[in-house]
Amino acid sequence: MLDAGICNYVAISYGHSGLWGGGMRQLLFNTRPSEACFGHFGAVGRYALAAQRGMHEFSSGPETWKHIAMGQRKWANLNPAAIMHAKPMSEADYHGAPLVVEPFRLFDSCQMNDGGRAIIVTSAERARDLKHRPVLIMGMGQHNPSNEIAQARYLAGPTGAHKAGRAAFAMAGIGLDDVDACQIYDCFTYTVEITMQEYGFFGRGEGENWFQGGTIEPGGTMPVNTSGGQLSEAYFMGLTPIAEAVMQLMGRCGPRQLGPETRTREPQVILCSDNGGALQSHSCLIFGRG
Amino acid sequence: MAKEKIVPAPDADSKPFWEACRDHKLKFQKCAACGEVRWPASILCPQCHCRDARWIEASGRGIIHTFVVYHQVFNPAFKDQIPYVVAVVELEEGPRLLTNIVDSPPESLSCDLPVEVVWDDISEEFSLPKFRPLPG
Repeated sequence: MLDAGICNYVAISYGHSGLWGGGMRQLLFNTRPSEACFGHFGAVGRYALAAQRGMHEFSSGPETWKHIAMGQRKWANLNPAAIMHAKPMSEADYHGAPLVVEPFRLFDSCQMNDGGRAIIVTSAERARDLKHRPVLIMGMGQHNPSNEIAQARYLAGPTGAHKAGRAAFAMAGIGLDDVDACQIYDCFTYTVEITMQEYGFFGRGEGENWFQGGTIEPGGTMPVNTSGGQLSEAYFMGLTPIAEAVMQLMGRCGPRQLGPETRTREPQVILCSDNGGALQSHSCLIFGRG
Repeated sequence: MAKEKIVPAPDADSKPFWEACRDHKLKFQKCAACGEVRWPASILCPQCHCRDARWIEASGRGIIHTFVVYHQVFNPAFKDQIPYVVAVVELEEGPRLLTNIVDSPPESLSCDLPVEVVWDDISEEFSLPKFRPLPG
């Protein structure tokens, strides 16, 4: 539409009242009677089913997920807008949190919150005349493998991230080595692990090693979810990762800004993911500094 | 007080499945063209799109593909059952079924463990196929 001149600017917005409205609760508590009669409700149970299979097939598990939960919390501690801004998380906090749907504990799950996010899409040419440094969409890919969790053959991979990631990198004409940071859709800790594994950041089952030692934290070699993400900042569907990627590339992130301030690389390229259902649909977006 | 039990809501496709469950039989559609045994029930085969199928009775044996343990009450109807196990069981014939694992402590379970069907008669109209580990 932008290319055809039908419109000049497109606003993509998302907002919800997750704490008191119906929408988020429906995601969490409602499901079809054929699942509810067995006591199976909503997103936590579905992703936990995937995570358990991941534990079985490639030794995923809490020893990997704690690095994701604690690493993202450190970013949230630098972000005044994050719900968990004032709450550091220790390893004892992570392991001591109540089990929700095992293998997931409380801090394996994203936030429930009120709020919203919006982004503006326009042509690169128009963007260059605007107030902020432009951010370019370098590549995108999508893959949607199934619509039934019980029939899914990919709970431990290959998920939609595998093909979607390849398509996005092919369009961008770059490789993994060119990525400076990632904003990964993180409804649950396992989602971050399986998504980054499918993109190829580490081999199958090598996540525990890869994440340990502060890889994704401030000062780390591959910062991930630098706002705190959905786990520790706030949940706005795919707009939590995308808005953060764009803000980081514009250089508008204050104390959590990638670069010298957080002892990280100044970002030229940021990789984003989004998925729907329980790993049933996947989008990968690669953004670059304009 | 526990709320009333949640029962399945059969549609035109799944009605034969739930009727068979009432007789403690696990029945699935088998494609006349490619032989795929499918679940959920549907008017055509998800593999080859053929519309012809017949209902076959499954053995009731399979393996746990994956499972989770509910530690929180998501619905008052399950308040008294915490902690309980929800699993995806892969049947010998191929289909995967969302179900419960019963008669076994959650910590004794693992993926790929062999299981067999047991029936839970939750009302006059509905019996739910649940599974327990095979003895030995």
